Amino acid sequence: MIKRRLPTFFQAVCIGISLIVVLVLIAVFLGLILFSSPETLVVCLFSEEIWYAIRLSVITAVISTLLCLIIAVPVAYSMVRFEFFGKQWVNVLLNLPLSLPPLVAGVALLIFLSPATSPVGQFLSSMGIYVVYTSAAIVIAQVFVNAPYMVRIARSTFSMISPRYEHVARTLGCSEVGAFRKITLPMAKNGLIGGLVITWSKAMGEFGAVLMLAGAISMKTETLPIALFLNMSTGDLDMAIAAALILLIISGTALILFEYFGKEHGDVYA
Amino acid sequence: MVMFMLEIDSLSIQLGEFSFTDLNLKVNDGEYCIILGPTGAGKTILLETIAGIHSPKNGRILLNGKDITHTPPEQRGIGMVYQDYMLFPHMTVAENIGFGLKERGVSKKEWHAAVREIAKTFGISHLLERYPKTLSGGEQQRTAIARSLLLRPSVLLLDEPLSALDTITRERLRDELKVIHKETGMTILHITHHFEDIYALANRVVVMRNGTIVQEGTPDMIMHHPVSDFIANFTGMENLFTGDAVMTPSGIVEIHIGTAIIRTVTELTGRVHAGIRPEDMIISTEPFTSSAQNSFVGIVTDIIDSGVYSKIVVEAGIILTAVLTRQSIQRLGITFGSTVWLTFKATSVHVFSE
Repeated sequence: MIKRRLPTFFQAVCIGISLIVVLVLIAVFLGLILFSSPETLVVCLFSEEIWYAIRLSVITAVISTLLCLIIAVPVAYSMVRFEFFGKQWVNVLLNLPLSLPPLVAGVALLIFLSPATSPVGQFLSSMGIYVVYTSAAIVIAQVFVNAPYMVRIARSTFSMISPRYEHVARTLGCSEVGAFRKITLPMAKNGLIGGLVITWSKAMGEFGAVLMLAGAISMKTETLPIALFLNMSTGDLDMAIAAALILLIISGTALILFEYFGKEHGDVYA
Repeated sequence: MVMFMLEIDSLSIQLGEFSFTDLNLKVNDGEYCIILGPTGAGKTILLETIAGIHSPKNGRILLNGKDITHTPPEQRGIGMVYQDYMLFPHMTVAENIGFGLKERGVSKKEWHAAVREIAKTFGISHLLERYPKTLSGGEQQRTAIARSLLLRPSVLLLDEPLSALDTITRERLRDELKVIHKETGMTILHITHHFEDIYALANRVVVMRNGTIVQEGTPDMIMHHPVSDFIANFTGMENLFTGDAVMTPSGIVEIHIGTAIIRTVTELTGRVHAGIRPEDMIISTEPFTSSAQNSFVGIVTDIIDSGVYSKIVVEAGIILTAVLTRQSIQRLGITFGSTVWLTFKATSVHVFSE
């Protein structure tokens, strides 16, 4: 019979703290899930307001995630493969939005795009384009905050693929673009999909920057987080919790998907 | 004017921390050229520059007399194989092998026929539908070589193609490379760390260090007349000593290493390095009479087994290493502590100045 050794005091303390954290997390989420009665929850989930918020969130998040992908792939690829002047500074600047509070990003965007405060905003309004406080503003705010995350994930994905694959492809008759499209991109597929899932989930939950640039206008710029915020401020707890639950489910699913794709691409092409 | 297959003319390149300047190399048509050198010597970068991956700062690369310095890799007709195979993981073996041909837009029928034929030559026909990660190292490298050969490149670049393989697979694939070279007459540049590759494959050897070519010549020249102790060390010249060379009236030079004396023929005197290849030593269990000028008696202190061959280390005032087959060790009854005589010719001693 194998005799199991008792954990040392140090091990017991570390494991104990981990257990407490897990218990607290479970308690907090259960509290949210069990707060409303199931009947009220169903009514709220099928209310017009929540449906509007879901639809608006899904559409804006899909668009902004695709825009993030379009931005992130070339940026990440050039950061990994090419040397150019000022690369370090580009790197710092690209990472800035990661540590910046989204609220600040939102204010900066508002000032940059509002006709009242900037030439860019004036130019846009002279063309008949009004961005601020519209659903376009939601997309812009999400892209601004999330693109750096997508760049980061795409970057770590590309950096795991040896440039020698492309070198060989070139000697076999591929152009530079061809080698990228036929070799590197398919090899990066899983990593990029994982990045898309996380970026989309973050876009669904983006609040601060959206609040600043798109405002919190009921049934107009009301995404799920905005719906949560508006209903909390008016004291409609059940509606707020319905919105919160949907966001919770989305985050959980996204995390599982990300782990799945992350594992898939991690071991093969190192 | 003699035309070379591949001519590298005062090539300079700057890549991050690494650079080489004014590199010159000429390779004849059909030559098997081995490039030797320690890590960081710039061998891979040289090959990649020849393939067109890096753009040189200065200088020219000529292929068949045509300037290809600024030709993109896909138009050079130069094949490249890396140590770690670089098979495209999302494609089957067949798709990997046929990748280049597909790029050229040949018909499906032609493509299948060509892939099947080369797969047969390399003994990988049964693997065509498999994915690279399910293959052994030898199978992967066969696939990689087949992939680059299918396009019939005018020059094939091999970057340590055998280094990641186990001994038996390495020897087998080395023989296959020899056959390929013989049958195709292709010009091959091959980077290696193993000096067995030199004996088996090379017509010519180029030794690189710190981005420069320090010696080039026939395998015999490099192996037996290294111009520096660095090259001697690197090409497996194990018995390396430093001593004082004195000319004797008979014309023979005596090199004094502590109390030991090695006789040789050289024009160098004073402080010198002397090297004797282990395979140039004759081992016997009793005094060996011959015209050879050098004979040492000593005790076997170590026997290092490496496959077919074994090295024995002998303490004879100086430490000498000799190589012989495992069979001869058994036949001669050599074990630890045996007394043996090591004999070598004066002309087997390679002397170079410090």
